[in-house]
Amino acid sequence: MVSRSTRSLAVWSNVLADPPPLPTLDPARARRAEALGGRLPPLLVAARRVAATVAQGVHGRRRVGQGDSFWQFRPYAAGDPIGRIDWRQSARSGREAPEGWLIRQTEWDAAQTIYLWRDGSASMAWHSRAAAADKRDRASLLLLALASLLLRGGERVAVLRPRGRPVSGRFGLDRVLEELDQARDDDDLPPRFPLPRYAQVVLIGDFLAPLERIQETIARMAAVPVSGYLLQVLDPAETTLPYDGRIRFQGLEGERDALIPRVDSVREAYRDRLKRQQDGLAAICAAAGFGFGIHRTDRPPETALLSLYMALSAR
Amino acid sequence: MTFAAPLALIALAALPLLWWLLRVTPPAPRTESFPAIRLLLGLNPTEETPARTPLWLLLLRLAAAGLAIVALARPVLDSTGSLEGGGPVLLAIDNGWATAADWPRRVQMANTVLDRAARAGRQAALLTTAPGETGAVPRASAPMPVADVRALLGAARPWPWPSSRASAVPREWPYAGTSVVYIADGLADRSEFSTFEKSLSALGKVTEICCGPAPRLLRPPEAGASGMTIHVARAPGGLAESVAVLARTGDGRTLARADIALAMGQTAASAPLPLPLEVRNRIAQLVLDGPPSAGGIVLLDERWRRRPVGLLATDPAADAPLTGALFYPRRALAPFAELRDGDPTTLPPGEVSVLILPDHALAPGAGQETLTAWVEKGGLLIRFAGPRLAEAATPNPLLPVPLLTGDRQLGGAMSWGEPAGLAPFPAASPFAGLAVPPEVRVNRQVLAEPGIDLAAHTWASLADGTPLVTWRALGAGRVVLFHVTSNADWSNLPLSGLFVDMLNRLVALSAGVASAADSTVLASAESLDGFGRLGRPPEAATGLEAGAIATTPASPRHPPGLYGPENSRRVLNLGAANLELATVPRIDGATVEPLTDTPREREFGPPLLAMATLLLLLDMVLALGLRGLLRRSIAAGIALLLAIPTAHAADPIANPAGTPALTTRLGHIVSGDPRVDALAAAGLVGLSEYVNRRTSAALGKPDAVEPGQTDLSVYPLLYWPIVADAPEPAKPAAVALNAYMAHGGIILIDTRESGSGAGFAPGTDVALKRVAKGLTIPPLAPLSAEHVLSRSFYLLNDFPGRFTGDAVWAQRDQDRANDSVSPVILGGHDWASAWAIDANGRNPHAVIPGGQRQRTMAYRFGVNLVMYALTGNYKGDQVHIPAILQRLGQ
Repeated sequence: MVSRSTRSLAVWSNVLADPPPLPTLDPARARRAEALGGRLPPLLVAARRVAATVAQGVHGRRRVGQGDSFWQFRPYAAGDPIGRIDWRQSARSGREAPEGWLIRQTEWDAAQTIYLWRDGSASMAWHSRAAAADKRDRASLLLLALASLLLRGGERVAVLRPRGRPVSGRFGLDRVLEELDQARDDDDLPPRFPLPRYAQVVLIGDFLAPLERIQETIARMAAVPVSGYLLQVLDPAETTLPYDGRIRFQGLEGERDALIPRVDSVREAYRDRLKRQQDGLAAICAAAGFGFGIHRTDRPPETALLSLYMALSAR
Repeated sequence: MTFAAPLALIALAALPLLWWLLRVTPPAPRTESFPAIRLLLGLNPTEETPARTPLWLLLLRLAAAGLAIVALARPVLDSTGSLEGGGPVLLAIDNGWATAADWPRRVQMANTVLDRAARAGRQAALLTTAPGETGAVPRASAPMPVADVRALLGAARPWPWPSSRASAVPREWPYAGTSVVYIADGLADRSEFSTFEKSLSALGKVTEICCGPAPRLLRPPEAGASGMTIHVARAPGGLAESVAVLARTGDGRTLARADIALAMGQTAASAPLPLPLEVRNRIAQLVLDGPPSAGGIVLLDERWRRRPVGLLATDPAADAPLTGALFYPRRALAPFAELRDGDPTTLPPGEVSVLILPDHALAPGAGQETLTAWVEKGGLLIRFAGPRLAEAATPNPLLPVPLLTGDRQLGGAMSWGEPAGLAPFPAASPFAGLAVPPEVRVNRQVLAEPGIDLAAHTWASLADGTPLVTWRALGAGRVVLFHVTSNADWSNLPLSGLFVDMLNRLVALSAGVASAADSTVLASAESLDGFGRLGRPPEAATGLEAGAIATTPASPRHPPGLYGPENSRRVLNLGAANLELATVPRIDGATVEPLTDTPREREFGPPLLAMATLLLLLDMVLALGLRGLLRRSIAAGIALLLAIPTAHAADPIANPAGTPALTTRLGHIVSGDPRVDALAAAGLVGLSEYVNRRTSAALGKPDAVEPGQTDLSVYPLLYWPIVADAPEPAKPAAVALNAYMAHGGIILIDTRESGSGAGFAPGTDVALKRVAKGLTIPPLAPLSAEHVLSRSFYLLNDFPGRFTGDAVWAQRDQDRANDSVSPVILGGHDWASAWAIDANGRNPHAVIPGGQRQRTMAYRFGVNLVMYALTGNYKGDQVHIPAILQRLGQ
């Protein structure tokens, strides 16, 4: 308790501010994300097995259903709507009406839903002096840019949260932004709720939680089955620990303080620990069929977006 | 250096403990927030060297603590020791006339005493020994906090009368442990010192602070024939010194100076102050050079100064030029004396000290009795001989010597003798020392009856020994007879300069104005304060009988100064009567301290404490900086501090040089004569200030301009003093001036020598013709009272400057060019001299013929001119307002 009492008021208020105030809807963020993604072609997710949704999309199901592309003709049966008869084909068949009437059927084009999530916890709302942007801002930007690309590709996009509704179409991005701002996830891992089978997820966060919890989450998703991609966003200070001297470190999510008498003496040990965390993350993702990437906030966001694009479209 | 609370220094012993404590306490760590803290937890290195406070920080903190401790011990610089006793301190301070010369030093001494009392936490009381302006008996105040006594002391001042000590000492003084400090002037002004001494010693232990240099007192001078004799008195015990006495006029100018050497111990000295009569009449006071003091100033009144002379006309043609009996005496005396006219039966109005009676046979009767009574009261009657006196030379009390009937003719067609010259004047004569011009010849004279005492009554005689001027005392006055006529009939004496000198000597000899009746009560009109400045009389001042003025000692009821109505002031001088300069012994058993310029003791604990606080602030800043909390805020603070002087430097009021267009300002054209240019600049400064004060126009500092080089278009009005050797303006200058005038500028050309100032600057008229050759000056007409210039602000009838009386010229009214605004105002009244002010705001140049009214009118003309230049014909249009209103009404 002694160590807590030395905390500055700002830190306490950060910890105690629960729930945080709703950020205002800012369309400029969506425009910026669109601009970021505008240099890449529309993204069509390579889906091996598409989630069983009734929504119309761009992924052909090789079955008769609603869609734009032709699938087959079949003979007219009583009860079929007159308007579905392909009169030209019927005439070519040379048979009497109504036996010669052919109904034109299209392929069932189903949509693939991509669930997007970014870590909104307090530890993300931080940046060191070496970086210009919060980790959370960067994660949100990447998420929105990706959503923009997907929407342009005709995919359905949803924010990974309970009661999050998939959106599609060109103007779905504002809806994504709205949902993102309403997402009040204080947890540093995606929420537990049932995902449809064969959905795709993209998880963006710092993933500094214990590896066991992360593995439990990823394994739960992989069991649905759900596949996806995991992007770790880190501040440069978190990778290099650029401090000197006697420093009392304070966590942002109510952890204990850490008083390090000489920071430079523990820098190597810290880097080892971070490396182990990242190796562990990579192993978990590989086991679950997820992709894995690391992004530092002092690097341009385009690189992270490009790697996300490549990872999602190649599969 | 001493410490007022030395016990606090014991705390210095605790500094090593502080050292140890500071050493073992490591500085607080910096605090950083860090999201990846989970990875850091448990990452403590095996060995941790204890963090130590840096040595310099340690020394800084110890210095701060040490300074604070020393400051709390209250160190005192220039300590003057402490006072005995524990009760209140009674501060008695003499504030009679003798203390004014070194009053600041006495106040400083008193403040030092109060410092001591304050340091000891004692109360103090103040006793000033001279009665105040209410005339109330001086009383000691009750003991009160030192700060209140300081206020009382600040209000105390020296008075122009002696102190009155006996009644000053409080009889009831129930405060134990009193110590008395007495700052004495050392004079026994009234013989009451022993009482004072006894009662003061009875109150408590006395410390006497005494004395400054021996006080000096200027006594009233004695008027003599050729000047005054000045008397300076000094208290015993003075060192050898030389004092200067300045004779000053009423407006403060020094006209003469006399140096008097005082040997060591000498208590009185005198010196002559030779003064020509015309100068002497203007002297209002004598002042001892040195610190101002009521004792060092003597005011002079009519007794010393004014010599009204009455001229008694005996026949209507007395003032006929060159032949009249009073013509020559009037011409001789007019520059030096005030002349009043009367006739033998009715004396001139007012009071006169000299009467001149030309040839007249005084018949016994009322007129003769009046004259006799007047002479007996102290008047000087100067008579001249002539045919009438020669025929009626009966013995008469108003004739100094018996005369032989008839006159004696020297030279002439029927005479063997030659006209006689003058013998040198005898030593006892008031005319002694006057040179006798050889060309003075006497043709006729009346002869005195030879007698034993004739020589004793002769002030001047002819070369053959016959008396020319005889005199006799009559009562308090004198009768003087010139044995020749007062015109040039009998001699050419009235034609010579000697006549003027002789009359002046005689007038100077007169006993002055017969004073007002002795029982007339004169009110105090102005009185001196302790520093010898004239001012309002104190409340207690009461009237004084005229006869008692010479013998009344100065007191609050009768302060030294001027008494009586304005036209016949009498003075009461401090040094006049009954003021003995005697010293008194020191108080028995008192500790005597010298009255010196000791610096006031200074406590420097507070600055030390401030320094300690600053060090602690610095320490705080450093500690915060070590923890990395301060970088941005310090940078912002420094930026703010740096911005303060920058913001100040960007003050928009500061008028950058070289941009005359930012303010309306006047200009004067450089004439080339540095004295004239300086005068023009000073004049325009004075005019600008006057305009700024009186009108809503705001004029800046005037500029010197050179046509052809300076851009004239920003100056509404240019002043151009013409000097005698002014060259014809060069081509570009003439072009610039013509363009200036054509586009609405106004030039005031001043030849500085017309009207009453004719001849002051010879040659400027010619120079004006020369300089105006290349200029397109329109036809001019004299300014009239109808011109806009005489109405543009003030209503003026004439346009004086330093001089007045001549016409001022401006463009003819018929010319409608330039909206009827005259581009040139031409005159010679030397306006700049009238407007000029010096650094103290005074007018250094007298206006001629003079008077504040002329000065005011000169300024008003300047204001009108500026208004004319600024408003153009707007004011001219105002003339038509009644007509316009009338037309609108229809």
